[in-house]
Amino acid sequence: MIHRRLKATKTVLLAAAMTAALATGASAEDKIKVYLSLSYSGNSWQSEAANVVKALAATPPYDKLVDLKEVISGTDPQAQIAAYESMIDAGAQGIISFPISATALNRTVKRGCSKGVLFFMYDATVTEPCAYNVSYITAGFGENTAQALVNALGGKGKIFLSRGVPGNSVDKRHTDGAMSIFKQYPGIQVVAEYYSYWDDRTTQTETAKALAAHPDVDGIWAQAGEYGAIQALKDKGTRLVPMTGENSNGFRLALANPDDQKAGLKGVSAGSPPATAGYAFKLMMEILTKKRDLKPMNIQYPLPWVPADQVKLCKGQKFEDGCNVFPSTVVPNSFVTEVFNPTLLPELSLQSALEGKPTPGATIQPLPADVVKAPDEPGINCSSCKAPADEYKLTKVEATVKP
Amino acid sequence: MTDRPSRVAATEAQRDARGIAPLRPEAIAAVATFVLSVVLILASRFVSPALGSWDQAATVVVLASFLIVVAFGQGLVILIGGLDLSVASLVTLGAVLATTWIGSSNDGAIYLLPAILIVCGLIGAASGIGVTLLGVPPFIMTMATGIIVGSVALGYTSGTPRGGAPGILIALMKDDWAGVQILIVFVVLFAVLAAILQGSTSFGRKLYAIGASARAAHVAGVSVTRMTILAYAMSAVSAGLAGLMLAGYSDGATLRMGDSYLLPSIAAVVVGGSSILGGTGSFAATVGGAVLLTTLGTVIAALGIGEGWRTVIEGSIILIALLLLRESTFAGLKRLLGR
Repeated sequence: MIHRRLKATKTVLLAAAMTAALATGASAEDKIKVYLSLSYSGNSWQSEAANVVKALAATPPYDKLVDLKEVISGTDPQAQIAAYESMIDAGAQGIISFPISATALNRTVKRGCSKGVLFFMYDATVTEPCAYNVSYITAGFGENTAQALVNALGGKGKIFLSRGVPGNSVDKRHTDGAMSIFKQYPGIQVVAEYYSYWDDRTTQTETAKALAAHPDVDGIWAQAGEYGAIQALKDKGTRLVPMTGENSNGFRLALANPDDQKAGLKGVSAGSPPATAGYAFKLMMEILTKKRDLKPMNIQYPLPWVPADQVKLCKGQKFEDGCNVFPSTVVPNSFVTEVFNPTLLPELSLQSALEGKPTPGATIQPLPADVVKAPDEPGINCSSCKAPADEYKLTKVEATVKP
Repeated sequence: MTDRPSRVAATEAQRDARGIAPLRPEAIAAVATFVLSVVLILASRFVSPALGSWDQAATVVVLASFLIVVAFGQGLVILIGGLDLSVASLVTLGAVLATTWIGSSNDGAIYLLPAILIVCGLIGAASGIGVTLLGVPPFIMTMATGIIVGSVALGYTSGTPRGGAPGILIALMKDDWAGVQILIVFVVLFAVLAAILQGSTSFGRKLYAIGASARAAHVAGVSVTRMTILAYAMSAVSAGLAGLMLAGYSDGATLRMGDSYLLPSIAAVVVGGSSILGGTGSFAATVGGAVLLTTLGTVIAALGIGEGWRTVIEGSIILIALLLLRESTFAGLKRLLGR
């Protein structure tokens, strides 16, 4: 009881301190006040997403229009709730955020909406209907990559599942989608399933452990962290196997590397794009500057999909001429390449993604008028709703082997 | 002729000491953890036929190597009755500095690698100074250092540590030398040198003395302040070294690299039979603890059960191991076997 009260007091104090800090920081009163709320910053994905938002806010004409402040609150939902509360009280007009929980933040989000705050969630989502969710989650990462792996394996073989964070709704959606495909093929045998926390190094050690028990694995289905799985295979010997994973630069380079292909690597790179943060920010700014009229909705960001034969090296600082990977001398292996989008975010360059600085000479370009509505996903982007019957239908790849 | 009785007494006394020595709890703990690890590896054949092989043992050594190195430093600090919560951040710092200062070229690795370890050592020394001269409790002091170092690493890299690992570190982690993995040779050498440093040098002996009673050690002429600062510095250097190894292992750095070694480093020390209050324990037993924890992880990973149950089993086995490896258990054993 006392403990709980202490904790509550602590939260209140924290909120008060933050309100004070936020209030004194507001200098330009005529600018639109937008807050960027991160739960955690410390991996390439999160920092790239935050960096592109900062870069866009500093790109003309937004540099004169918006006053953007970043708040990193940690991995507890209650800390993010406190951060939101402070932002609302400090007079935020918009909050762009990577939400740590799909449900825990709902009450605060609702309170903010009632005060006229726009909430834009990127990548992860909330089920509160007054917030805008901008995410690829509903675009079918799990089922499409699973089918691609099944195709590469000819419908049979022993596979590993390298999953994300236990208990996380995104990990569950991906894995459910993948299992809906794997279950159709009796020849596919999941011999090991482990949580890699969307982290390269954890993926590497967990895959190494699984390989100790199953050195004869035929394929790996991985969520983010996939480059670690390749490293683990290479540590073990010269044999690589077909695998699917997300958008790390190291994985894409490996997919296109003739030596790695000869060793047995084939597959597809898809998954979570940090570019959603930039897209969400521009949408929000268009609404706040009265250039767009859009009611709160769930917006689907297209699933990046790059099979091995479509990997193309970029010569410059951005995705140009259909290129989609950078030389290993320019970015680290863990760099998430899908931070760019030539159509939606032409303003961005490597400098924006890595340092949060605007591209010299770039100005904000208007977004296409249409947005894609995301299908309902109970527990992910809506609470009392039903998933469509064709929830796991394939959109990027066709089954080339019969079950 | 007259001195005969005293010579007899002397030999008797010697014999007595020899009879007790092999049953020192630390020695038993060390042997017990290794035996348990081997038994686990052999028994894991029942889990999967591919297990129980030399290959699996090699995997365990590679995965345990980081923990062994971190646990050495952690062990020194625990030995003097402290605790080092900054190891996770220092592991990360070592890896981040290796990839940003040196990168995938080998340029300047010869002097930059030692420089990185010196930076880590200085940070550790700062923790030590806080603990001794400023009187901040070790728990708080090292937590603060850890948070500061971790945040500096975040700011310095703006979230994305650039660059790959230096070739020399990749070679250390991955290359073979006459059919033997270099890393395994390195780990064995490290363990032997570290065990000698802790167990048989005046440096190590002084740490034991401080852990048993800082006041008594001071009276006996040990510079408690200097030794404490040194212990924290050694811990930071070990963590930094583990960071270098991790960078070589995964060819790059991430900002959460060290997180998974903080609690296991403490667990390895304690599972190895050292008292969390300081003054007892041996590094050989800590190595055993690290190997046992890693073996356990490998075998449990192969069980193919849900994540929840996996963690429950892991936690339970660690608890049982701790209870079994307690000093009172050895005292009981000694009573059973010895008399």
